[in-house]
Amino acid sequence: MNKDEQVNLEHSTVLLIDNNQQALDMLGSVIQGFGVREQIKLGSATAAVKLLQERPVDLIIIDCADPEMDSYAFTRWLRRETSAPLKYTPVILVTGHASQAKVQEGRDCGVSFVVVKPITPAVLLKRVMWLALDEREFIECPTYVGPDRRVRNYGPPMGEKGRRKGDLSAHIGIAKEANMDQSDIDALLKPQKVQL
Amino acid sequence: MKAPVKTTISSGTAVGEGEGATAVKVVSSLSKKMAEPGGLTVAAIERRSHERLLSHKHDAMQSVERAVSELEQRTAGALAEPDPELYRITSQMLDLAGFFDTGPLYDAGYSLCDLLDVMQSKGRWSPDAVRVHVRALRMILGDNFQMTPHSTSLLEGLRAVLEHARKA
Repeated sequence: MNKDEQVNLEHSTVLLIDNNQQALDMLGSVIQGFGVREQIKLGSATAAVKLLQERPVDLIIIDCADPEMDSYAFTRWLRRETSAPLKYTPVILVTGHASQAKVQEGRDCGVSFVVVKPITPAVLLKRVMWLALDEREFIECPTYVGPDRRVRNYGPPMGEKGRRKGDLSAHIGIAKEANMDQSDIDALLKPQKVQL
Repeated sequence: MKAPVKTTISSGTAVGEGEGATAVKVVSSLSKKMAEPGGLTVAAIERRSHERLLSHKHDAMQSVERAVSELEQRTAGALAEPDPELYRITSQMLDLAGFFDTGPLYDAGYSLCDLLDVMQSKGRWSPDAVRVHVRALRMILGDNFQMTPHSTSLLEGLRAVLEHARKA
């Protein structure tokens, strides 16, 4: 992340949801530091549901363990029960400890990112910047609604260096090598005997 | 937000249980607004956020201290039955501690959450394993969250306890 890079969050509305008031205030301070002028802080996901039925927001950051509606249930509601463009709102799920039962739920509920604590403002900012450049498609099928989870297929967003050794860019650049001959391609496809 | 463009990417078995999926290209309002000129530099944002966050540190650490005291009170007795409040208290403590560099305290708290989660999922209960975690939290608090040879060996011990619970 280039320290001189400009990040403009002045005109974005961020909804913060946390059932721990103290943590909510801290998150609010971090987001205020990002230059966000309008932030809405709510102590429950059910209050957020009511709000979103009235008005849209640009980004949602949620860390909610409320048994009535937790972060995962809220995201599922947003992705499945609302209509476009609200359902496409980016969601960052912040979590302290994720129980075994919740790890898969986190993957399947449709959040844009899961950020595991401990978090620093730098880490959160990086995720927000990543979302701004996010080119993943939004997948809708009976078993999943949310951003494409096959990040490997897309590689990191433009300008971001991938963390995995095999990460590829989603952008096809200029070919670096000559095209293969058809005979070479045929040879690759030709079934061959394997000595076991 | 810009009107999304829909493309069906699969009607066969490529995506989950043989059901089709629709891929929608979306440009979020966040992307559009962040693309506008202006704003702050990354360096300025990090400095501002860090300063604002630090103003909460004293209160947050007091809450962490209270949480450890509450864990001590709850684990002081016989503790014959699993107490779901222990997980709630510890995870709430992590929620606060996770905003600051609390090093070994965070690791010990995370280990306790893992332990309670593992015991709950396995249906096994070991009050001693819980107590040793709570004592470690208190000792780390006494060391002012610093990673010392003492806290390093404490964390190694907690890892062994957790591993034992996982294998049990």
